[in-house]
Amino acid sequence: MSGIEISHGCAKGERPLIPQVCRVVEITQETPDVKSFRLQTLDGKKPFDCMPGQLGMFGLLAYGECMFVVSAQSDEWVQFTVKKVGLVTEQLHALCVGDEVSLRGPYGNWWPTEGCKGKDMLFIAGGIGLPPVRSFLLYCLEHREDFGRIDLVYSGSKYDDLVFKEQLFEIWPNEPDMHVHVSLYREDPQWSGDIGYTAPYLETLDLGPEDGNRVAVICGGPSLSRTCRESLVKAGFDEGNIITTLEMRMKCGVGKCGRCNMGGHFICLDGPIFTLEEIGRMHSDV
Amino acid sequence: MILNKKNLTPLLESMAAGRDVFVPARVDGVAKFALFGEGVECAFDLVNTTMPPKDLLFPQTQKMYHFDVDANGNYRIREYDESREQVVFGIRPCDMRSIVCLDEVFLTKGFVDEFYANAREKLLTVCIGCASAAETCFCESMGVDPQAAPNADIMLQDCGEVYRVLAQTPKGEAEVANWAAFVEEGDAEPVACELSLAVDMDGVVDKLEGLYDHPIWENLSIKCLNCGTCTYVCPTCHCFDISQDMRRKDGVRFRCWDSCMFSEYTMMAGGHNPRPEKLERVRNRFMHKLNFFERRYGMSLCVGCGRCVEKCPVALDITRLIDDIGACDVVPVAQAE
Ligand SMILES: Cc1cc2nc3c(=O)[nH]c(=O)nc-3n(C[C@H](O)[C@H](O)[C@H](O)COP(=O)(O)OP(=O)(O)OC[C@H]3O[C@@H](n4cnc5c(N)ncnc54)[C@H](O)[C@@H]3O)c2cc1C
Ligand code: SF4
Ligand code: FES
Repeated sequence: MSGIEISHGCAKGERPLIPQVCRVVEITQETPDVKSFRLQTLDGKKPFDCMPGQLGMFGLLAYGECMFVVSAQSDEWVQFTVKKVGLVTEQLHALCVGDEVSLRGPYGNWWPTEGCKGKDMLFIAGGIGLPPVRSFLLYCLEHREDFGRIDLVYSGSKYDDLVFKEQLFEIWPNEPDMHVHVSLYREDPQWSGDIGYTAPYLETLDLGPEDGNRVAVICGGPSLSRTCRESLVKAGFDEGNIITTLEMRMKCGVGKCGRCNMGGHFICLDGPIFTLEEIGRMHSDV
Repeated sequence: MILNKKNLTPLLESMAAGRDVFVPARVDGVAKFALFGEGVECAFDLVNTTMPPKDLLFPQTQKMYHFDVDANGNYRIREYDESREQVVFGIRPCDMRSIVCLDEVFLTKGFVDEFYANAREKLLTVCIGCASAAETCFCESMGVDPQAAPNADIMLQDCGEVYRVLAQTPKGEAEVANWAAFVEEGDAEPVACELSLAVDMDGVVDKLEGLYDHPIWENLSIKCLNCGTCTYVCPTCHCFDISQDMRRKDGVRFRCWDSCMFSEYTMMAGGHNPRPEKLERVRNRFMHKLNFFERRYGMSLCVGCGRCVEKCPVALDITRLIDDIGACDVVPVAQAE
């Protein structure tokens, strides 16, 4: 096997289906339909320790629970960034600071932070795909000397849909050797920057594989993932150096309820993070 | 040690004191495992029950925990453990094999499912070997011996008039120690069970690696109704949904059997569905039985009980699929995990 090595099926835990009751300690409105929630236990502690990229089942006892990536964490809290798309996420958006929620986890594997040491990093995300990738990006920035050049290619359909605008436009562009490229899919009165779908936009940036020394990380919907992958392969990237995170309907989060399988692998337990080379070897419906 | 079949009822009566004993029975026209007691007639003549015994370990609907919401909108979780001492008496070797599969799913790979684990620990398994098979039985082809179940606490091999009693675990030995009034010293020869249905599994797992995009799935799925019957009668199908019910301030979170044959099963918010058509769903189900599970846990997820063959309303038949796979001209790929 060539390319970046990723751990799979490495999460462990006791009593996986019983949630803990947590409290919302901070809410940030990221876009009109995306909010970030910071959670603590009722006695003010961090609910669980996790690696960048791991998942949590965050929800409301009365309504249900959903899988989200931990989009940021500190010693005191974990954060989830939630787009309002359906039944439970709509209820989550109605939460106020101080409200109680349910949380279980951490689940899934994590970004290959070790395996990417010394590499140039190319992050590619669309819309709500940025929160999952952000945990990896933040790790790279915290351990800046371990990584080479960092590029972020991010796009969305409207200016309002771009998440983490402060970081995107003010903080990250000023980080050493970090290059932020943002495009919108179509013209927007609030936007004077680049226009274009992610894949063709990516191609204009001319970011090559650097002889295998650049690792690409993709997170977006099915069509973004497919087209960007094609662009990268065309540019000469080895599929083992392209990492992505997969999404599938989930209920248990621990490889038991059956629904999130991709061939003989469960995305909740073995994933959600895989290289394209690994995915190519699986029988995938995803 | 042997047990005369005439002593079965008195033995069961003595076992049922203080414990729930489940036996094969016909209840309202459905053959299933029912609580031994008044009005329940044991049906040891049944080769296998229509409904598998998996609900003793993995109930069709299972409460996981209660929760209340107090006046301030705060939650309290109250845990729930419904498990209790149970005996399954008269489970067949194919269904015992299905418990090997379920143990793998629920008890391994980093997370132990406590609801299953609690029930499993409290279940005593008394397996009765098969002296004759149904038309749809093909367990032998799936590596099951109709007169043996190594993971049963107690094995009763059918020898005609009597059973040959084998206590196979410490739990089984402790139980058999109480059977003195019903058993006698001696030995008997198990009746050889003749199966009329067989498949050739040779190369099937490895051939499936190359058949994912083969027309075989289209041909198979075209008549499927996506009714889910096969998944409910399957002793190894274990998919579940998690949901909740809230009545005023009192809630319960529960899980219930789900089926990969339903399109909602993989439907995601926003309407994207990775397995939108029955082609993908049927393929996923049979790949899971015959290949995915084998790759993940080193065993087949089909035990050859024949229930789906018998009950599918459109006669979609896994044994014919296996024959068809065998007949396909593809290179087998032995893929290590
Ligand atoms: C690995 C992974 C990471 C994710 N990370 C994020 C994130 O960081 N931010 C974010 O906004 N969203 C994320 N999602 C998607 C998020 O889980 C769904 O948007 C959410 O479950 C929708 O729930 P709903 O009740 O509002 O929608 P409904 O359509 O009402 O769904 C009903 C139920 O089905 C299940 N379900 C439906 N869609 C999905 C789905 N796409 N994925 C998993 N379960 C689903 C959930 O249990 C949900 O409660 C992630 C999904 C996965 C699988
Ligand atoms: S029982 Fe038959 S018709 Fe029903 S879902 Fe299964 S294969 Fe399809
Ligand atoms: S969510 Fe249950 S198996 Fe993955």
